[in-house]
Amino acid sequence: MAEYAHPEVVVSTDWVSQHLSDPKIKIVESDEDVLLYEVGHIEGAVKIDWQTDLQDQVVRDYVDKARFEKLLSEKGISNDTTVVFYGDKNNWWACYAYWVFKLFGHEKALVMNGGRQKWVEEGRPLTKDVPGYPKTAYKVSSVDESIRAFRDDVTKHMSAKKPLIDVRSPKEFTGELLHMEAYPQEGALRGGHIPGAKNVPWATAVKEDGTFKSADDLKEIYMDGKGLKKGDDVIAYCRIGERSSHTWFVLTYLLGFDKVRNYDGSWTEWGNLVKAPIEKP
Amino acid sequence: MSRIEDIIGQFQGADYQETLAMLLDYSEALPPLPDEYRDARDAGFNRVPECETPVYIFIDVRDGKVRIHADVPEESPTVRGFVSLLVDAFEGVAPEEIESAPENLIHSLSLDRKLGTRRMFGLSAVYNRIRSEVRRAGGVN
Repeated sequence: MAEYAHPEVVVSTDWVSQHLSDPKIKIVESDEDVLLYEVGHIEGAVKIDWQTDLQDQVVRDYVDKARFEKLLSEKGISNDTTVVFYGDKNNWWACYAYWVFKLFGHEKALVMNGGRQKWVEEGRPLTKDVPGYPKTAYKVSSVDESIRAFRDDVTKHMSAKKPLIDVRSPKEFTGELLHMEAYPQEGALRGGHIPGAKNVPWATAVKEDGTFKSADDLKEIYMDGKGLKKGDDVIAYCRIGERSSHTWFVLTYLLGFDKVRNYDGSWTEWGNLVKAPIEKP
Repeated sequence: MSRIEDIIGQFQGADYQETLAMLLDYSEALPPLPDEYRDARDAGFNRVPECETPVYIFIDVRDGKVRIHADVPEESPTVRGFVSLLVDAFEGVAPEEIESAPENLIHSLSLDRKLGTRRMFGLSAVYNRIRSEVRRAGGVN
């Protein structure tokens, strides 16, 4: 059976339980549900929230370098710390946080396979104790925007007929689902997908227990099934760029693609852009 | 002062951590779904479809008072906490009290500002569902 392209970035729950007091390691929980960490978390884990910690609250963007440095310093993470991410929903938000850490050039980052669900199902302990770590002096040397696509990149990509992966649900892809009446800012004014995009819902990449599928299965889904090749220049998107960071992780680290970008503007940008081309069956 | 006004006051004065702590307390305090509603839940009735979390809400209006029963998984403490808050605010009140509660309760509780707007869609759907069910139960003229 084929191995993942970068097997070293995925660690097991066992591995994590054996490294709880390793000073070179920090465990980060990142969840969809903002309260889950408070309910109980892995001993020693710190919380990083995708919205309140990683996103700017005014401009639609991530926090700036200085705020990222401040956040990581307060969490006791140094530039050479190995950060292990885990979270709810098949590590959806853990992968999102992972992607943002990579955007800011953090080097050593791992994902705990199976996430919070697997840890809990295995009956492993959770604690409500919030750890305090000595403050560090984290420094971002450069921002790596090679893993991020903006709308103009997507337009060029689309015109060049390069592969685009839409990781939303089939109904969002066809445009059947688009409106969210109570919260129109959550939706888009138009439904459908970016012309030429192929639909592979993000959770296709995981098994029932929340762990990633095998390299062979992933190859069958993305490469044999959708015709992607390792050397392809790929852009993944969803609604707000979170589910697609999971697919970005899978393509980059598990299948070893060289150039995958996450379009974090995603459908809430594209589906609202005046005159943006849309394909709808 | 109505119970919901009282709760709004508490949330407005709370910082991020205090907000989380109150929601966590609420989440832990949600009463279990009474047995007589379990079959309906298991058959998939009364689910709030807009909420990604499987949330089931059962509303009755009896003798001029609203009865709310709900089921929300423990793995979704934010939604569970919010539903529990609504039960605390509206269980046993007259339907008119729910009708006159703020249209955008989430904003009044300042949950959108503290927890981020992108999490609020499901909560808003739950609240709207309760209000519309109360109206449908004939409680409001």
